[in-house]
Amino acid sequence: MSRGRLSRISIATATAAALLSTAACGLGGSGSDNDVKQPEKSGKVSGEISFRTLQLKPTFTAYVQGVIDAFEKKYPDVKVKWEDVPGDGYNEKLVADAQAGALPDVVNLNTDSFQLLADRGMLADVAKLDPAVQKDYVPGAWDQYKLNGKQGVFAYPWYVTPEILTYNKDLFAKSGLDVDKPPTTVEQFFDYAERITEKSGGKYAVFMADPKSRLPGDWQKMGVPVLNAEKDAFTFDTPKAVEWIERMKELYAKGAMPKESLTKSDDTSQLYGADKLVFGPGSPGFIRDVKANAPKVYAKTQVAKAVTGVLGHIGIYTQSLGVRKDTKSPDAAAEFAKWVTNGPNQVAFSKEVAIYPSNAKGLADPYFSDKGDGKDPETLARALGAEELKEAQLDANTPVEWTNQIGDAVVREMQKAIKGEVDAKTALTKAQDEANKILAQQAEQKQK
Amino acid sequence: MAQIAGTERGAAAGTRDAGRAAGPPRARRARRPKKETGQEPGLVHRRWWTPYLFLLPGLALVVLFSLWPFVNTVILSLTDAQILRGGGFVGFDNYVRALQDDTFWLALVNSVVYTVVVVPCLVFLPLALAVLVQKKIPGIGFFRSAFYTPVIASAVVVGLMWQWILRSDGLVNTVFQKLSLISEPVPFLTDSTMLLVSAMIVTVWKGLGYYMVFYLAALGNVPTSLYEAAAIDGAGPVRRFFSITVPTVKPMMLLVGTLSAISALRVFTEIYILGGESGGPGGDSRTLPFLIRQVGLGFAGETGYAAAISILLFLLTLVFSVLGHRLSKGDEN
Repeated sequence: MSRGRLSRISIATATAAALLSTAACGLGGSGSDNDVKQPEKSGKVSGEISFRTLQLKPTFTAYVQGVIDAFEKKYPDVKVKWEDVPGDGYNEKLVADAQAGALPDVVNLNTDSFQLLADRGMLADVAKLDPAVQKDYVPGAWDQYKLNGKQGVFAYPWYVTPEILTYNKDLFAKSGLDVDKPPTTVEQFFDYAERITEKSGGKYAVFMADPKSRLPGDWQKMGVPVLNAEKDAFTFDTPKAVEWIERMKELYAKGAMPKESLTKSDDTSQLYGADKLVFGPGSPGFIRDVKANAPKVYAKTQVAKAVTGVLGHIGIYTQSLGVRKDTKSPDAAAEFAKWVTNGPNQVAFSKEVAIYPSNAKGLADPYFSDKGDGKDPETLARALGAEELKEAQLDANTPVEWTNQIGDAVVREMQKAIKGEVDAKTALTKAQDEANKILAQQAEQKQK
Repeated sequence: MAQIAGTERGAAAGTRDAGRAAGPPRARRARRPKKETGQEPGLVHRRWWTPYLFLLPGLALVVLFSLWPFVNTVILSLTDAQILRGGGFVGFDNYVRALQDDTFWLALVNSVVYTVVVVPCLVFLPLALAVLVQKKIPGIGFFRSAFYTPVIASAVVVGLMWQWILRSDGLVNTVFQKLSLISEPVPFLTDSTMLLVSAMIVTVWKGLGYYMVFYLAALGNVPTSLYEAAAIDGAGPVRRFFSITVPTVKPMMLLVGTLSAISALRVFTEIYILGGESGGPGGDSRTLPFLIRQVGLGFAGETGYAAAISILLFLLTLVFSVLGHRLSKGDEN
């Protein structure tokens, strides 16, 4: 191959690769607020409706298909077309479909996608479609689908996973702590962590640093006002938040947390399962994983109600079913969403996997109050989670204003402060300034 | 038939005139497609658009998936578009904002440093490797395959493996501590500079086998007679390497340099896997692609601003590409 030819190929390849690299970064973006009117029910439940779920195939194919079949049997004039989309890129697909006007009639939404679609007027007000339905759901779950400054409720609450506390009671007891008296406040949690670290000799860690998953929850539980009353400015730059940073910094330096957990926490289950972590992830689903994969550690696992601090209750993050605002079959869509989220169907779903119903009748099922002998972690976790859910309130949720961008900006400053590279107060002030700057930008963009 | 073909070849190969006059009849007709010949007009006509017709499927794909997204990115970079909301025209505001943004400069410096360190490694180390495995000795196929394995390994597997190697209680730190070479673990993944260095090591490790194949192809084209002549003249292996191998594969080195520079400027996966979603502690190890993702992702993602940074990254990539081109031009001259 001649050099001239090679250099031509070289420049052509380079230009093409550069072009492609940039093209890959190209992000489509058009669309505007939806002015579609709220659908009116005709009283006739019929028509073909599309239904999209988030990553339920193939594990729950039989369950979901069973629910659909039963609905079609009850309403023979309705045909439900079900599609399941993998979790990776789910929100991006929703965005693309919303832009193309191709949203399904009934769609599974998480907190983020709900906010996005409802805020832009793409979802029907289900409280108007069915005024009597509110009483069916746990109050916290129902309230989650209201929007600031807008009348209505824009999705039917579906399944939910409450926060609980899981810990290795053997490692807990080794430091002289009473396994039946788990921490209930963030400050107490830090005290326990300090004591365990002193006894561990660096052989095991107490918890994962991971500020991304700890904030703003820890601050809310400590009584730090994250936002002002108008929700237009962050106000977390307080002495309490400084105290949080100082404690985290001190514990990090002492080895209470794995060093890498400051930036990543994807190996939490692995560390817990290997007897190298005292507090495991706070989800009931995790208990099942430990039972299946690390039975010896499962036998040492204790569960308790989540640390709630001054709030006294947990937050609530349900999955939900939204109804497309310009659906051609509002009766069938609303009836179907209500059917999927009704008590019996949600309880049946909860028996398949460690999730909980957001439906009040479903949550009252004896399956969720049975504590067994009080020793089996899985049974106990189910009962404790259900108890917590009945009291759950939205003030313990991450505020919707705390977007990914804001969370990332705050977390970056916290990482520096916990490592000791920046003084706690300086980091906190900088984090709040940065968060307020992004919030103002986002508000300005919204108004355009 | 064989005889006729042989005759035609003989005539064409005779003299230049003979070739023109007595060349294959079909070829002659193709050059002068006169209707009056009255022979198979449909087959012999060469319409000007015929080549474009064949190119059309490929061109359509390029336009749809490369050129249009690029043009769209340029347009978006001049707007304040967000996900799900078409933006208004804001001129060069996004570019001005980027140039005034400390994070942009941090990411730019990281990207450039990354490229400047990684490119020489990926130009010279694979060449050395190729020279080593080029020799035809028994079992060398195993080593060639082994060196290529990282290229086909999934990014997730590679990331996990390197995490286990580099974490504070990982393989390297444990071995060094056991040997009493260090008292405290080296913060490979928790210090922003060390994290960048770790990511560079992974990039080089993954790229070695890939570029080694390029060099093996280039080395295959070097005539062995050159080496033999040089050996007879008394040149040793080192002299032969620098006087024969390097000049012969120089065009390939420039190509490898350009390609590795482009991929180094686009580095994202290594930093994401080793340093987490924030781009290392405090986000200090973020590169330009990392920043683009961070700015453009999520429902509050600023598509317009992310597009502007993409264009600036494109320009930077172009600088390195043109530099590579200039170097190869200079080499030709």
